[in-house]
Amino acid sequence: MLQHLVKKHGPVRLLESVTEVLQHSSRHFGSLQEKMRRSSRNFHFSIYGKRDNAKVSDGISTQYPVVDHDFDAVVVGAGGAGLRAAFGLSEAGFNTACVTKLFPTRSHTVAAQGGINAALGNMEEDDWRWHFYDTVKGSDWLGDQDAIHYMTEQAPAAVVELENFGMPFSRTEDGKIYQRAFGGQSLKFGKGGQAHRCCCVADRTGHSLLHTLYGRSLRYDTSYFVEYFALDLLMEDGECRGVIALCMEDGSIHRFRAKNTVIATGGYGRTYFSCTSAHTSTGDGNSMVTRAGLACQDMEFVQFHPTGIYGAGCLITEGCRGEGGILINSEGERFMERYAPNAKDLASRDVVSRSMTIEIREGRGCGPEKDHVYLQLHHLPPQQLATRLPGISETAMIFAGVDVTKEPIPVLPTVHYNMGGIPTNFKGQVISHKDGVDKVVPGLYACGEAASASVHGANRLGANSLLDLVVFGRACALTIAENFTPGETLPPLKADVGEESVANLDKLRFANGSTRTSEIRLNMQKTMQSNAAVFRTGSILKEGCDKMDSIYRSMDDIKTFDRGIVWNTDLVETLELQNLMLNAVQTIQSALARKESRGAHAREDYKERIDEYDYSKPIQGQQKKPFDEHWRKHSLSYVDAISGKVTLDYRPVIDNSLNEEKCAAIPPAIRSY
Amino acid sequence: MFSAVIANRLFSRLSQVAWRPSVVGAVSVRGYHGDAPGSSGQYLIEIPLPPWQEKVGEPIDVKRRRLLYESRKRGMLENCILLSLFAKQYLNTMTEAQLRQYDRLINEPSNDWDIYYWATEAQPTPPDYQGEVMNLLQEFAKNRQQEQRLRAPDLEYLDPGTH
Repeated sequence: MLQHLVKKHGPVRLLESVTEVLQHSSRHFGSLQEKMRRSSRNFHFSIYGKRDNAKVSDGISTQYPVVDHDFDAVVVGAGGAGLRAAFGLSEAGFNTACVTKLFPTRSHTVAAQGGINAALGNMEEDDWRWHFYDTVKGSDWLGDQDAIHYMTEQAPAAVVELENFGMPFSRTEDGKIYQRAFGGQSLKFGKGGQAHRCCCVADRTGHSLLHTLYGRSLRYDTSYFVEYFALDLLMEDGECRGVIALCMEDGSIHRFRAKNTVIATGGYGRTYFSCTSAHTSTGDGNSMVTRAGLACQDMEFVQFHPTGIYGAGCLITEGCRGEGGILINSEGERFMERYAPNAKDLASRDVVSRSMTIEIREGRGCGPEKDHVYLQLHHLPPQQLATRLPGISETAMIFAGVDVTKEPIPVLPTVHYNMGGIPTNFKGQVISHKDGVDKVVPGLYACGEAASASVHGANRLGANSLLDLVVFGRACALTIAENFTPGETLPPLKADVGEESVANLDKLRFANGSTRTSEIRLNMQKTMQSNAAVFRTGSILKEGCDKMDSIYRSMDDIKTFDRGIVWNTDLVETLELQNLMLNAVQTIQSALARKESRGAHAREDYKERIDEYDYSKPIQGQQKKPFDEHWRKHSLSYVDAISGKVTLDYRPVIDNSLNEEKCAAIPPAIRSY
Repeated sequence: MFSAVIANRLFSRLSQVAWRPSVVGAVSVRGYHGDAPGSSGQYLIEIPLPPWQEKVGEPIDVKRRRLLYESRKRGMLENCILLSLFAKQYLNTMTEAQLRQYDRLINEPSNDWDIYYWATEAQPTPPDYQGEVMNLLQEFAKNRQQEQRLRAPDLEYLDPGTH
């Protein structure tokens, strides 16, 4: 009898006895409750206080059966980073659970068509130190150079490792991995022209990566808990001891007790109205960390992809410009020549986005409302379009009604990547920062877009994100393997740990206020889009913060309509909205506070980057600005989840590489392309 | 208590063995999906994923609820928009046979781009997915009404209280 339960949920541990009969609408639990009573002991949360609600039908329980699991490690998220971490942990012998709200190949990593950077030197002489230089420069000197050193040095090995796992990279005629040009990549420390450093699997790099890692991880017995929505971290004594999650299939609550927890939940693009990410990029992990009282870092650094299809947000890959596509304004001018005389259309993303926005602001935008520009591809041979950029033609036709072999595509800067996230060191360990000192949060790791290691600093370079996923997913696994052994005894947890999370879930499930989830979500997205997008000024940001405050408060008046518990999409989207909201307030408050322009954060009222020295002049004779008078520092943000009030703090940037002899740190300079 | 623990351990071992792709027949109950006929995943033959399995005995209303979630939560924006709007239009009126076709169509192929290319007829649909539901989806993708398809529809259309 127990087998049914075990079969459904994997290894199960049942706790404590309960005499009350569980009332549950789900078919599964009719039989489950009996099994639980008969077999041994079980545990459940009873959430009272909603039973008088007339709208609740008799069949609906306000009790939540809880299933406990013990693992050596639990990974939240099954995108590229989560799978790499899970695979690495399982490979090292750790009993590993991977908890994910989406089936692994449905992760947003699948959308990455571009590629993965590594200085393999297959197209010309290359050196990872040049890649290091480009990444530091791309980060606008907000990146931590130890982490960037680690990532770029590991990159060639990481790609070769993927190749050995069976990832079918596109090849040159002589059989080497083909590498293409991508924005922001140069040779010889910016002096040797465009580098060809981006490895790809045709236009399926993201999917190929997911497939490869997922397939590999299954060889090592990783236990997948698919379509489980992670609610919160289980924190005790400042340590992370696992996560609590909702099984969407039957509404049961699962506590994953683990010595080590890896967060790999991706970005929070959906805080904005126009974004290229899937509807699932809701910053769940960032919010879990926020609710645990820990900081998020550099949340104001939001990268806008220059070429989302105007209106819909669908991505037109930067590979288009790598293959020779050009941006033109209403006068037919190739305007990037003016903004970036060397790199032109291959300049880094923020430079391109900003240039496009200036063109539009200065009246040279295209279309009846002059509110976008054109991406022209029709000067390229149709065969090159078909082989190198498949899919672009279809996307443009379906969402913009454009034939790319004849007409240009209308495009607009659209939210594409979140540089900020959970602060970690280069080993993937989550850190807290008190009194000028970084401290590791025991048991907690983060990787991928959810994390801020920070290798991207103020701006991410194209094709560095897939690299980030595999390098730091792997780093999390290695760090855990270095410090722990499989099968260690788990620290004790309070019996009622996680009850608050379930109480919150229950509150949302029965919320009967007057504003719909979708309405609040749209308010938030529109506010973020109009008040915290590419160009930012103090007054508009301030107005946005005030609006966000009131939108945050409107969460108290939220209305959901689905009172069920099995596959309750309304509930999940409301939980996601709570998460988005925590991400949004941190983003806009950090943006308001940062009175400078750096990387993707461009303030019209503070156009200069403010470093400890004025790097446009010789440093000699200059007095170093104290920490609180310059902005070359990471923002740390905390939120009181009840009021939505954001508290900010700052943390120095790490300016030394891992080994100064092997790889000299790059001192700040004025960035130009 | 002890017998339960032993049973757990035993079963967890068994299920772990079953997760290995080599023992395809014994794959777990959670419906792992992977290599689909005609999908681009076949170029990754060195790394087979366990085959997708239909959920057996799932009540039709539960299936609809699951498919609603799975239509809205895709790996990529294009499918989030396309499938969520498609679900709004058709999911509640689909017959059980259509629901099963739709389930297979959106869950078996491992690459969301494949589904997108088939639906938009950028690539031919493999025979296994051709049928009534694919025809509906392909027709829907043409967007003959030229509606603005900017994001997933607000869920309230499902609230009985608003009708």
